[in-house]
Formats: sequence, structure tokens, C-alpha cells
Amino acid sequence: MFSPSKMWNGFKNYIYKNYGENPGSMLVHTGVLGWILSSMAQVYAVVFNNKISKEQKMFLIPQEIADAAVNILSFYTLTSGVKYIGAKLTKTAKLRTSELTSLLKKSGHILEKGEKRLENKVYAGDWNFDITKLENYNSEIADKFKPFRNGAEVITGLIGSVISSNIVTPIARNKYAAIKQKQAISNMNKPTDDKNSRNNPVKFDNRISMEAYQNLASVKYSSSSLKI
Amino acid sequence: MAAVNLNLFKTMYNNLPSMQVSKDKVIDKVAYIGKKWSSPHQRAILGITAIAIQPYIDWKNKNVDEKTRKVAVARTCAKIIAGTLTGVALRAAFIKGIAAMSKTAAEIPANASNFSKKFMQCLTPKNLDPVNKDALAQYRNAMGTILSLVAMVFTNFLIDAPFTKFLTNKFIGMQEKGENK
Repeated sequence: MFSPSKMWNGFKNYIYKNYGENPGSMLVHTGVLGWILSSMAQVYAVVFNNKISKEQKMFLIPQEIADAAVNILSFYTLTSGVKYIGAKLTKTAKLRTSELTSLLKKSGHILEKGEKRLENKVYAGDWNFDITKLENYNSEIADKFKPFRNGAEVITGLIGSVISSNIVTPIARNKYAAIKQKQAISNMNKPTDDKNSRNNPVKFDNRISMEAYQNLASVKYSSSSLKI
Repeated sequence: MAAVNLNLFKTMYNNLPSMQVSKDKVIDKVAYIGKKWSSPHQRAILGITAIAIQPYIDWKNKNVDEKTRKVAVARTCAKIIAGTLTGVALRAAFIKGIAAMSKTAAEIPANASNFSKKFMQCLTPKNLDPVNKDALAQYRNAMGTILSLVAMVFTNFLIDAPFTKFLTNKFIGMQEKGENK
């Protein structure tokens, strides 16, 4: 039977289980959620701002639409991508602390200088090496590995989010919005005998109507983003 | 072909030298960031880097005329300032609030009333491992962040959007004042 209390407890347990030891993933996932939720607000600030002229709105509204799409996509792919590099480097012990090196040396997982690589043996720093699968992981390694891995994942996640939100997004959205602005202006100036215009929701009397355009933008869920 | 490429990539990765961090200060700092930094720090860093980079990118956008560029710069600055201030404040406040409502049994004072006890544990997860304090701290960060995002859907309209509009107009006014001088 449906029980809100059971659902709420399930939600709390899910958050604890999935993010309790995974701060890097939490930052990526909540970042994406933030971008999705914030997409609703920004267009409001542009559409209802009387100090921004009609022509400027023609640029700014598409800019906000582009923002939302690019923000969400680039945030997720870049941030999780860069975070993955941090996670992979630490999990394979390609990047490790001196304490971890000592422990891995003791258990024979480090390929020493001049030592010949044994076939089929996976060494620390190899792509298929997984420090968390070692026999002495829980007893000796975990306490030293987890804080370092969590820190590396948070740092790489932050780097990814800065690159995606502050460099890739503004450049990509400006290019996209400029194309959209040109399209919108050419629609405004189109002759009245355009056959396709009857079914176009942003056109009025075969020409684009600012009112219709604004209405369309304000009801569009992911129309833009005021980063929250 | 894809399998060959993957194997080649793996071989390249395997042959890369390993990196060892030996300085205790660096190791401690990395561990500290993993333990203590959360969404308010992320939001603040995004805001600081955004104000340093984004207005410049908007100003250098030659696809649009100068007047539009000026409005875009003003709005970008306003958006970053409004979003960062409310974003950091709300995340931090929610995480603090969640911490007050997700206490372990050991954290509750013995003389607390039944109501207080219930309140202080209303967000404590049932599958809590009382020994793992870090996991509980991360849970509080995650829960606080998620609930603050839900709240921010509303504050976005109530605070961020009008605040962005107010700041945009202020900045446009400042630009016009500067031009008329």
C-alpha cells in the first residue's frame, strides 16, 4: 500500500546510501538538478523587463533558451567527464599518496624500476587495477584511500563545473543565440504569403508577434536558466 | 576497430608514469576539501569564476551589435551576482537546518523532551551507520542541497528574478550615465 512515510524513509535511505560516501557524484547530480530547475526563472527576468527593447529581447530570449540546453548538456558531460578522470586516476592508483604506495609495495602491486612486467598480472597504475578490490582494502587501505579519493573527485568535479558553466556555456550560447536572433528577425520581415506561417505559434498575421513569442518563451519549461 | 583503439588507449594509460603526492600538507588539503567542501563552496567558486570570465565573453561577442552587447553584459553580471548570493546562502542555510534535524541518538541531549528528540531525528536516515560520521555529514550536505534546490525554484521567482531585473537596470543605468558624461 502507498505510504508517504515509507516513501520519505526510502528517499532518505537512498540519499544516505548513494551520496554518503560519494560527495563528488552528489555535486554533479545536484548541479544538473539545479540547472534544470533554474531554467524556468530566467526568461521571466528578460520577458517582463520593460527597459530591454524588443530587438534586444529578440536576442536575449533565444540566448536564455540556448543557455538551458547548453548548460544542462555541457554541465553533465564535462563535469562528470572530468570527475571520472579524477576517480579513475585514484581508483587505479595512478595518482596516489606516499602512504598508499607503501601499502601497495608491501602487497606486491607496484612494478619496481627495472622489474619485468609479469604477463596477466595487473599492477597499480594499470587501467584494470582497482584498489577497492584488494584483499586488504577494508582492513588497511580504505581509511587512507577514501579521504584522498573523495577530495580528488570533489576537486575534479569543481574544475569540470567551472569549465562547463563559465567557459563552454557562454561561448556556445552566444553563437546559438546569434543564429536564433537572425532567424527571428528574418521571420519578422517575411512577406505575408508564407504558406507555412498559419501553423507557426509564434506568428501573427503571417508575421512574428512579440507577444506570441514572449508567451511561448515564458511557458517553455527549459527555456533558460538563472543559475541557482 | 573500437576494441583495438580501446586496447591501445589502455596500453598507453598503463605506460604513463604514476603520480605520487608526498607532501602531507597537500594530502591533508585534498582530504579536507573532500570532507568539508560541498555545494555552497561549489556555487561560490562558480560565481567567482563566472564574474571573472562571462562578462568578458559577452563583451567580445561580435555576433551582435554594441547596444545588445552592453545589455547582455549588464544582465550577465546581474544574473551571476543574484544567483550566487541566494544560491550560496540558501544551500548553506538548508545544510545547517538539515544537520539540526538529522542527529544521531548520541548527539541528542539526555534532558531533551520527546518532541525535541523527534524533531532532531526527523531527517535521520534509518540505515544510518552511527560509526561513519563522514557519511552522515555527506548525507546532510546532499539532503540540504536537494531540498534547497526545490526551495530555490520559488526563490528564483521571488528573489533571483526581480533582483536580477533590478541589478540589470542599475547596471544599464550606470552604463548610460557613463556614456553621457
